[in-house]
Amino acid sequence: MALNRKIAYIDLSTGKIETRPISLEVRKKFLGGRGLDAYLLYNHTEKGIDPLGPKNVLMVSAGILGGTLASASSRTHIMAKSPLTELLGSSNMGGFFAPELRWAGFDHLVIKGKAEKPVYLWIHNGEIELRDASNIWGKTTTETQWAIREELGDEDIKCAVIGPAGENLVRFANVMTGIKDSAGRSGMGAVFGSKNLKAIAARGTMDIKIAYPTDALEYNKRFIDQIVSSKVNQTQGTLGTPFIWGATNSWGGIRTRNFQYNQCEYADDIEPERIDEIATETMGKYHMAGCFGCQVHCRAKYKIPSGPYAGKYDEGPEYTSQGAFGGEPDCKSAVTVLTGNHLVDQWGVDNLEIGSIISWAMELYELGILTNKDTDGLDLSFGNDEALLEMIRRITFRDGWLGDTLAEGGIQASEKIGKNSFSYLIQVKGMSNLHSDERATPALALGIATGSRGSDHLRSRPAIDLYHLPEEVLRKVYSNPVPYDGPLSSEHTSYVGKSWQVFWQELCYMGVDCLGICKYHTTFLGATLPNFEDWSRVLYYNTGLEMSPKDIWDVAERCYNIERLFNLREGLTRNDPKKGDTLNHRYFDEPCRRGAPDVIGAKIDRKKFKKMIDEYYEHHGWDENGIPLPETMKRLGLDKEPSHLV
Amino acid sequence: MAKVLMINYEKCTGCRLCELVCSVMHEGVSNPSRSRIKIMKWESEGLYVPISCQQCEDAPCINVCPVKAISRDEKLDYVKVDYDVCIGCRVCVTACPFGAMSFDVIDRKVVKCDLCDGDPQCVRFCEIQALEYVDADRVSVFKKKDAAERLSIAQKEAAALQAQV
Amino acid sequence: MATEREALSGAESLAKTRTYGKFRCHNPSCMGRITVEPGVTQCKCPSCGLEFRVAWVRPNFPRIRGPVWDVNRRIAQEAVTEREAAKAAKKEGK
Ligand code: SF4
Ligand SMILES: [Zn+2]
Repeated sequence: MALNRKIAYIDLSTGKIETRPISLEVRKKFLGGRGLDAYLLYNHTEKGIDPLGPKNVLMVSAGILGGTLASASSRTHIMAKSPLTELLGSSNMGGFFAPELRWAGFDHLVIKGKAEKPVYLWIHNGEIELRDASNIWGKTTTETQWAIREELGDEDIKCAVIGPAGENLVRFANVMTGIKDSAGRSGMGAVFGSKNLKAIAARGTMDIKIAYPTDALEYNKRFIDQIVSSKVNQTQGTLGTPFIWGATNSWGGIRTRNFQYNQCEYADDIEPERIDEIATETMGKYHMAGCFGCQVHCRAKYKIPSGPYAGKYDEGPEYTSQGAFGGEPDCKSAVTVLTGNHLVDQWGVDNLEIGSIISWAMELYELGILTNKDTDGLDLSFGNDEALLEMIRRITFRDGWLGDTLAEGGIQASEKIGKNSFSYLIQVKGMSNLHSDERATPALALGIATGSRGSDHLRSRPAIDLYHLPEEVLRKVYSNPVPYDGPLSSEHTSYVGKSWQVFWQELCYMGVDCLGICKYHTTFLGATLPNFEDWSRVLYYNTGLEMSPKDIWDVAERCYNIERLFNLREGLTRNDPKKGDTLNHRYFDEPCRRGAPDVIGAKIDRKKFKKMIDEYYEHHGWDENGIPLPETMKRLGLDKEPSHLV
Repeated sequence: MAKVLMINYEKCTGCRLCELVCSVMHEGVSNPSRSRIKIMKWESEGLYVPISCQQCEDAPCINVCPVKAISRDEKLDYVKVDYDVCIGCRVCVTACPFGAMSFDVIDRKVVKCDLCDGDPQCVRFCEIQALEYVDADRVSVFKKKDAAERLSIAQKEAAALQAQV
Repeated sequence: MATEREALSGAESLAKTRTYGKFRCHNPSCMGRITVEPGVTQCKCPSCGLEFRVAWVRPNFPRIRGPVWDVNRRIAQEAVTEREAAKAAKKEGK
């Protein structure tokens, strides 16, 4: 059946490879994907290890529904201790890798140790081989993939690879597959690099048996209709994620010039419709592409229209590239956004983090904290497109003092730069915030402050909070599958009931990450999209596993608590500005300077924010320091961790 | 009139849902290597082309089959393999100019598109309609329309250019 | 189990609340519904006066492309000035 996929333990130091089945007991407790990764990470790592040392353990996995009829069952999850945050490292990517890994017979890889010289893993129909990667070391992400296909003589091979950034141990290097699919956050590419692991190549022709094929087909059709009929996904399928940046910039919910402004005015050249125009001009009317099995097709195909990289093919750009190389550094040029996007894709570095860090450096330069001496003469002013692109290169290749320093990540760099530079760094737990501004939206602010992998919009963001939905609609969404009769508010400027929304979304996103489905197919950007109830059916038809919506909720809560346990073990404390559930002081002290009439002047209220966190801990069953209470651990069956079930 | 599977590869988003539903429909499994349709990709150019059986009028596979296991289905007008007769020699796989006749390594038999008894699942699930199941005469009509559109745009552009001069 | 599985899920039943052809004003305190004539490229919120550029996802599906920068900037500045004046007046009153 769909559950007979295996887990492989690979020791790169000794070359020893061991494969084991995953028991039904483990499946029912953790499902798969991110949830089971979290369990494995907690069980297989020791406290306080060096994230870039051989003792870090790298998890690569597919969701329990990967490759099945679950609509966009394409997601690969990667986990390890993060070299960027020294807390939980966790990242997720679309594309075609995870289904291929399953057709090759595996759901989870647990990679330990460190290879003596560059290697890649070749996973093929139940077999795993370690192969020499010396001649592909140094290649870009796409060159690496094409070279592996050529070496093994099979064009259908799918790879998860690192580029130069991962090799250079840039602490926010990503892991990539295809042209632009990236597990970008928290530096998983650097962990690959530290292990001398250049790539994982997979190819398989093994059946994944579908439990009830006819029902699964019929239900998938219904699932897809529900997903593609939503307005948000229709927009997504035309303009991709840039539409979100455009819509948020319209009222003043994005970040520009690091954190100085919350709206990028007159940015017409980087608006989604403009980017869509370029894609149409260079790739034709039908220029959208999709991940495995997905009918939303949210990514554009494009060629860079002009400049030094004119004619280069790439995909995207996503909201993050638009923010990182457009709005944030105040560059406002489509060509710069498309070029920056291409560079990070080729070199394998997180666009979000690198864009934020460069903009932070630009603010420090403006303030005189960084000088021409530090930049080796580079004019690091906001709006300098060339300097932005040059910094992407310097950081990736650790070129010069500044490039090398910034490649260490924000907190580490701030310690080197000193002079109060830390207080300008827009981060939570060492990870940069998305290029969005949450000062007018307390629910979103709470989400980034508490996310288990640091500041993040894909851990718990209650994005539908921005839609001014009637309270009865909110209640319908948020009181399922567990009852909730506390307060809820349609006002997104309010603090009321937001802690519950964040808690609910956390478990919702954990749910999709365990199943291996894309977040655009759940209650992220639209209230009418599938969640727990729908998953229970899809899980049953595809795998035969009978889990009620509440059972899936419980798995999600269990897994989220394991992530919390890991973070607590590695030093998270509630109020630590570097490792806590906190926000940069500017959220509380500097009011928004632009945007719609009541966004201007908005900032987060310290007292109300603290109360939101208290409530949020309470929903979780955590004490006032954010530590799970003994009864919570017991209720979730976590009172004997680490339990080494697998 | 008999219907045909019409492929407009320009629309294809490369998602491979057609491969997935095809293998689930026919074999009850997720396994694109057993699908009757396959998307050929040039990833570095963003080019995706779905390939499936053309149901040829003068079909090479029918012509080469040494035991006459392949014939034309009267009702749906498609090329059909009779597995009671087929000896699995795979000559048809070699003869097919499209690679649309494939060999299923698990069941060890040749497989090809059978139009799912008149309700092709690949078509049903392809939201963007890169795949359509249409009356045979429609295919060229759609192409005529496309060509006409290109022509009229070209003419408008020429007129605009002339006006500038 | 079979009949239960056929029922509409909560999320599916919410689909009935979808509205096409209109959108909400981007001013958080307003969020008024705006209906636009087919093909227009600019609109004004009837309740708060903000103005937006309109783009079309499909012929029957409009969205806000962005603000009319000069107009919305002016309205926001006026709101700030008013708020500050009110605050100052309140202080004096004390
Ligand atoms: S299998 Fe190949 S040769 Fe036979 S009818 Fe189909 S396309 Fe033609
Ligand atoms: Zn309004």
